[in-house]
Formats: sequence, structure tokens, C-alpha cells
Amino acid sequence: MNLQLGTLEEMILIILLMKEETYGVEIAKEYKHQLSQSISLPAIHVVLKRLEKKGFVNSRLGAPTPERGGKGKRLYQATNKGYEIAQDLQHRRNEIWKTIPKLNFSLA
Amino acid sequence: MNDRRHPSKWAKGLLEYFLRPDYADEILGDITEAYYWRVEEEGKFKARLKFYIEVIRSLRPVNLKSFYHLSLNTMIFRNYLKIAFRTLIKRKSTSFINIFGLSVGVAAFTFIFLYTYQIFTFDDHHENKDRIFLAYKERITPDGTQATYDTWMPLKDRLKSDYTQVEYAARYYTSDASIMKNNRYLEESIVYTDSDLFKIFTFPVIQGNTAKMFPTKNSVVLSKELALKYFDTQDAVGEHLEIFLQDEDTTMRYQVSAVISNHPDNASMRPSIIIPMESIPVYPELANRWNGSFLETYVLLKDQKDALDLEADFPNLIESIWDTETRANTNFKLLPFDEVFDTFFGDSSNARTLLGIGLGILLIAIINFMNLSTAQATQRAKEIGLRKVLGAFQGQLRTQFITESFVMSFIASILGLLIVIFTTPQFNQFFDVTISLNQFSSPQLIGGFALLITLLGILSGSYPALYLSSIGAIEVLRQKLGMGGTSSFRNTLVVIQFAIALFLIASTIIVSRQINYMTGKDMGFESDGVLVISASPRSFTDRESGQARLNTFKTELKHKSYVSDISSSRAVPTSWSGSFTFVRPNDWEGDPLRMRYTYVDADFFDIYNIPVKYGVNFLPDTEGDQRSSVILNEAAMNAFKFSPNDENIIILGRDTRVNVIGIVEDFHFETLQNEVAPTLIFHRVSENPVAHNSITLKMDMSNLVERIEEIEAMWNELGSTQEFTYSFMEDRVAALYEEENRYLGMVGLFSVISIMIACLGLYGLTLFIIEKRRKEISIRKVLGAEIKTILGMIFTDFTRWIAIAFVISVPFAIYFLSEWLESYYYRVSISWITFILALVIVLTLVILTVGYQSLKAASANPVKYLKDE
Repeated sequence: MNLQLGTLEEMILIILLMKEETYGVEIAKEYKHQLSQSISLPAIHVVLKRLEKKGFVNSRLGAPTPERGGKGKRLYQATNKGYEIAQDLQHRRNEIWKTIPKLNFSLA
Repeated sequence: MNDRRHPSKWAKGLLEYFLRPDYADEILGDITEAYYWRVEEEGKFKARLKFYIEVIRSLRPVNLKSFYHLSLNTMIFRNYLKIAFRTLIKRKSTSFINIFGLSVGVAAFTFIFLYTYQIFTFDDHHENKDRIFLAYKERITPDGTQATYDTWMPLKDRLKSDYTQVEYAARYYTSDASIMKNNRYLEESIVYTDSDLFKIFTFPVIQGNTAKMFPTKNSVVLSKELALKYFDTQDAVGEHLEIFLQDEDTTMRYQVSAVISNHPDNASMRPSIIIPMESIPVYPELANRWNGSFLETYVLLKDQKDALDLEADFPNLIESIWDTETRANTNFKLLPFDEVFDTFFGDSSNARTLLGIGLGILLIAIINFMNLSTAQATQRAKEIGLRKVLGAFQGQLRTQFITESFVMSFIASILGLLIVIFTTPQFNQFFDVTISLNQFSSPQLIGGFALLITLLGILSGSYPALYLSSIGAIEVLRQKLGMGGTSSFRNTLVVIQFAIALFLIASTIIVSRQINYMTGKDMGFESDGVLVISASPRSFTDRESGQARLNTFKTELKHKSYVSDISSSRAVPTSWSGSFTFVRPNDWEGDPLRMRYTYVDADFFDIYNIPVKYGVNFLPDTEGDQRSSVILNEAAMNAFKFSPNDENIIILGRDTRVNVIGIVEDFHFETLQNEVAPTLIFHRVSENPVAHNSITLKMDMSNLVERIEEIEAMWNELGSTQEFTYSFMEDRVAALYEEENRYLGMVGLFSVISIMIACLGLYGLTLFIIEKRRKEISIRKVLGAEIKTILGMIFTDFTRWIAIAFVISVPFAIYFLSEWLESYYYRVSISWITFILALVIVLTLVILTVGYQSLKAASANPVKYLKDE
């Protein structure tokens, strides 16, 4: 199984970690809030299904509300495995970041 | 905020149907919630737009139901189909009526469609059809305008040089030619034209260089048919043809430069031998002559709308060529090419009427299905009730009944198609037309029939489906249901059927009365025992000796015992003169009249038995007669406002004075559709070499075959390039009404079909009505009603429907038929007898249809139907 994460996958996983338990529309709102960039729900749904398949998130059915036209929501929660891979990614990125020679750019 | 319905029911249904059930709620819920969130953030319009985008984008393969889930419904469909076939087989008489009626209706409609399609797509194969125009002129005369379509040799170049809107222009002149094959001359029709013709019209080139159709002055383009005839191959480019041009009296040698494909059946232009105008020897003399119009000029404009500009400027063109006077009495115009059919060939309104009849027949068949399906509701009620009790929804029942009507329309359409395939040759032969399913490619045919099946299925199935599915389970179980369907709706449908049938029968009667009137009316000349032989000195390669030989031929004929009279003339009645001249009476103030003229010899009026009403006939062999005398028909006399006993003089052209020596009674030299036109009849002795094209014989019609053979043998000795061509005047008169007779045949055939289908439906309906009223009838009988009374009771309903149908159809019939009759100058009037006759026919058929079943019901033993209660 492919345990790599795409950029969007990573972003949504981080939002999930941040929110503890959330669902599609809230992710879209948070995404927009954090990155000032809108995202479509089908795109989020696809990423969530993929993360779930890889075992980084769990989900359960929530109660229906009137805003949703009487439909129930599916609530997602990151797993430990999800937390680890996200942390690992942040960590590795920081390591790589440190190797960038600072002088080259700060003088410009 | 309270009103938080789903933004789109349609989208909801779509997603719910296609998405995996375990995903559907989440996706739909999220999208919906996001919609309301966006309405507040970004406004309604953007939110809605994004909503739809997200709906579409949610339909990704990962989110969709598996095919297995989607196709779960086929199980129930299979059940519907099974029940549909069982019902068909169980109710044989109803199924037969429905399927037979509908398949005959489909066949009739297909025939009509194929026939009218040819007329509606007449000349459509020319790609530039919309931009092609025929230049023509109208003479303004005191009695109105007269259009003629012949134009002048130099017009083509003038139009091309004066008007930039003209992209291409070509002259077109048809004439006779004789072509050498195996040392024998064969007579053919030949077209003189310009190479632009191939740019204006679409004539697909099979062989040869499309860029240069006439590489030399002596090039000839052949149709495939002619190439095969003369060279036994379509690969004829480079071959040579010896063509004797009858108009030029010379033989020329041409080389084949291209071969074009054969023309479609519904093409007006069908040139088969095409040569350049410049190739004729006298061309240099004619090229700039504006004083003779004899050819057609076609133009291709850059834009269809340019025609208006051109027509607006034509008066200036006329003035620059002739003078102000000509300008005042001539309109110059452009005839759009798609009006050519209506102008020269026929009347496309007849085709529209036929198409209407075809739709009417289909409607009658559809109504049969609707009526019989709802009428048999009682019999289906138990099934419906049971299905409902077991949990079927109304929608499912609707689907079931629509499925049944589709099965029926499918079977009927296939049968109809088979009828068409197997009877097309007979249809073509009977009506002398050339229709074929091969006009369409298979995808078009399959698509067309799929559409027809669908339409028939939906039209005939929707009402029964709605009605049957609404039957309540409770009523069924309580046995409360009477005969199904609101009877007023069904009665309306029956009334429509009979209104259509009455309309068609009345039309058939009127059309046939008009044709009988035209064929039966005295044409004003004798056609019994009159034989016409085409004989022109022009079809001899040596014209002078040809004339001498024709005279010998005539002398020999005159001495035959069976020939009592013989005459030579330019034209004969039924194909009268198309030549016109300008003429005015002596002392006439106004503009000259444009009048047709022809030449006859002194025996012409005798042989056709046309009485000279005033004055005298021509004297045989009088030279003076030929130059200074004319005989008028009465129409011409009236046009000149002559009084018959005066010494009248007419002036031809500028100042040629001609004495009117006699007036003949008007005779119908063309179809009675037209008023008898004024005609000038000049004398030319029969020996005159150029004037005459026909020899008329008055002969004893016994032993005809041998005599014709004898005359033919005599003809073949003459050495004419023309084959022996003869016709009987009676046949020629009948041929004038060929188009009308075909129309009558079609209207007649299709009204018989329509009434047959309507009666079949009525028969089916009677069975149900009697079934339903059986107990009532039995009780009435027990109480002492007579058979007569009971029959009367049943017939009252039918009679009332037909009475209403009659009242509806009469105004329509009067309207359409008077319109049709309008186009005939000599016509019958629409009398009420026609409608009474139509009514009697329909009533008789209805009584025959309903009668037997009713009589059986009325005379049955009442005990039989009362004992079980």
C-alpha cells in the first residue's frame, strides 16, 4: 500500500489533526481560512476516502441536520498512524530546511 | 432561513440514483450544506453555480454504484415484458386490432413519408441550393403579368460583369441531337451550357478533371448512364462522339472530358450530354444578340440576400440594354431555385396534405390502442389490484403499462416496416413513382424507426398507463369497478377518429369528382381515333431531302384505306405552343399584348373537329394565306375586344398587318386547370419545311396493332434519326391528369385504410361495451324489451358520435377542399351531397361493424347471463 502523502492529502490530514473530529464542509471552511484559497467538496471527499483507505483517518456517521437537506454527516478523525506520518513529514521537512544555506538568499 | 429545502430536486435524484448508497448521504449533505454557507458568503448565483459543478464532479467512478446495483431493476422489467407478452397472447382479438391497425398505419405513414420526402427534398442535393437563382422576366400586360423563363444569350456575361454579387452564371439550353452509335443515329436530349454550370450545381464527377470540365471548345460531359450506353464503361474520358446538332443542322465531333454520376430521382435538372455553348458554329453571331430569348440563365450569388439588391437594380439593366419603353413593361426577376418545383413540376401542397393524411391514420391507430386498453381495465383490474396490495407503487404500474405499449408499438412498427419492404414494388408500379427505403442510410432508418416506436409507445401508452395505474386496490377488491376510463374521454377519441375518416372520404369524393369533371368535359376538339406522330424535318441529317421524304410518307399514309384524314401542325392540343409574340389590333391605343401563336395546315381544324364559328377556314395550298391571314380562338377575340362580324386586322411586331379571316371556338389545348388562353393560329402549308413538328392521322381503330406496325415500317424506311414516336390523342388527354390521378389514388387508398382501422377499433370497442351492458340487456329482455329496442339503444350512442364527428369534419373539409379546388380554373362546386354521401358510407360501415355483435347480444337468451347472480 502506498503510504506516501500528496500535498492536498497532507493539508487535509493536518486540518483533521487540528480539529480532532470534523466533516467535509468544515474542512472546506478551515482550508479557506488557513490558505485563503477555496476548494471544492468533491475534491475533499476524494482525499478523505483515500486517507481512510490508507488507514490515516477513521470515520463514523453523524446526525442529520436541516442545513444538510436532512442528510447525515460523516465525521472524520485522524488515527495514530495518521498523526505519526504527519509528524514524520513535518520533521523531515524541517531537517531538509535546515540544510538550505541562509546566506544565499538573505543578501539578495 | 426556515425554508431550507434542497437546492435542486433534480440533482438530488441524480446523485441518489447513481452514487454508492453509503456515500450518498455524506456527499449530498456536504454539498447542500456548503451551498447554504456559500449563499451567505458569495451570493446566491455563485453558490448555485458551484453547487451544480460539485454535483457533476461528485459523479466520479469511485463514488458510483456498481453496475450490479444499478441493474437490479431489470428483474422487474423482465417481469413486465413477460406480462406484456402474456397479455398480448391472452387477448387475441384486442391485440390483433391494435397491432394490425398500427402496423398498417405505420406502413401507410412510411409510404407517404417516403413519397413526400422526395418532394420536400426536391433538388436538395445541390449544395449551394439556397444561393442559386433562375433569372426570368415578367411582361406587364393589361391583364396582369406573365412570367417567362427564357432569357438572352449575352445576359450571363452582363450579370457577371455588372454585379459583383454574382459569383457564377451559366446559360442552359436544352435541345435534341442525334448521336452516332454503330453507324446509326440515336436521338438524345442535349444541353448547351457554360462551365460555370458545374460550379453552380452539384454534379458529382466520377471521371475526369473537376477543375476544368470543358478543357477545349469541343469537350462533352456525359452522365454515367450515357457513358455506359455509348462506350459500355463509365471510364469514357478521352473517347469521341459524333453529334448531329439538330438546331444547327451540322455534325460535330466531341471528346469526352468528364463523366458525372446519374441524377437522383428527385432532381429537376438532369442533363446527360453537356456541351459548351461556344462549340456551336453560329455562336459568334449569336453571342451578342439581345433580340431573341430562348435559354435559361442560372446564377450563383455570394449571398442569398443579394437577390434583393439585384432585383432592385434590374430596371437600370433593362434600360441600358433596350429602352425606357421596355423597362416600363418588363420586370426582371430572380426565381429562387427551391421554388422551381412548385413553378414547373407540381404542387408541394398536395404533398403536405398527404403527410397530414399519414399522421391522421397513425392517430386513428393510436386512438384504437388507447380506447381498447382503457376499456379492458375491468379485465386487468384484478392484476392491478393484486400488484398494489403486494406493494407496487403507482409509478411502477405506470412503467409496466408503458412497457406494454412499447412492446406493442415495437411489434407493429416492425410489421409495418415489413409491409413496406414487401409492397414497395407494387406501390411504385401502381402509382408510377420511384420510392425506396434505400434513399436512407441504415443509421438514419434505424434512428427514424426507433423514434417512431418511441413516439407511438409514449403517445398510445401514456393515457392508459395513467388511468390503469390509478385504479384503487380497494375498489377492485370490492368489485365496484365498472368499465374503465372516463367514457367521455373515450367518446371524444372515437369522435376524432370518425371526423378524420369522414374528412378523408369527403376529400376522396371531391377529388374524384373534379378529375371526372376534367376528364369527362368536352375538350372542344375530337380525340377519338386520332393518332399523333412526331415528325420533324429537323431529325433528318439532310434536311431538304428529309422534308421530301416526309411528304412522301404523308402521301402514302393518305392512300391507306384506314386513314381518313391527315394534317401537319407545329403543335397539337395537349402540348400546345409555348411561343409568344407581341400583337395589337389595328387602331389600338394601349400596349401590345403578348400572345401565344402556332402554325397549322388547312386540314387541322377538320381533323380535330374544331368548329370555325365566324369567318372561314384556311384554304389549302394558298401562298397568300400564309403571310397575311390568321385565325383566332374566341379567347383571343375577346382579348382584342373584336366583334366577330367586322373585318378585323391585327398588327404583329412593329407594322406587319394580318387579316383575321376566322374565329374558332375555344378548345382546351391544355389541362382544365388553366383557362383557355388567347392564341393566334397561322397557316403554313404542310409542305413547309420548318413549321411543322407533328403529323395527325384520323384513322379507323380496328386491327390497330398491325396498322401501327405497318406505319412504323414505313417510318423506318425514311431514314430519320428519330425513332418512330406516336401517341393516341385520348392517351395524351388522359396523361394531362396523371398527377391528379395519382393524388386521387393515394387519397383514396389512404382513406380506405383509415376507415378500415377506425372500424376495427370500433369493433373492438363494441365487444367491450356489449360485455359491460350484458346484464342490463338481459334484464331489459326479461322485462319485455324487443330486439329492436335493444339494438336502437346500442346504436344511439354510435349515431350520436358520428353526428358530432360529421359536424366537426364538414367545416374543415370545406375549407381545405375549396383551397384545393381554387387552383383549378374549371372546377366542380362542393355540394352538400358529397358530405351526405360520406356520412352514408361511414354510417353503413359502422352499422355493419357494430351490427353483428349487437344483434347477437340482443337476441341472446337472457337466462345465460343472469343465472350466476
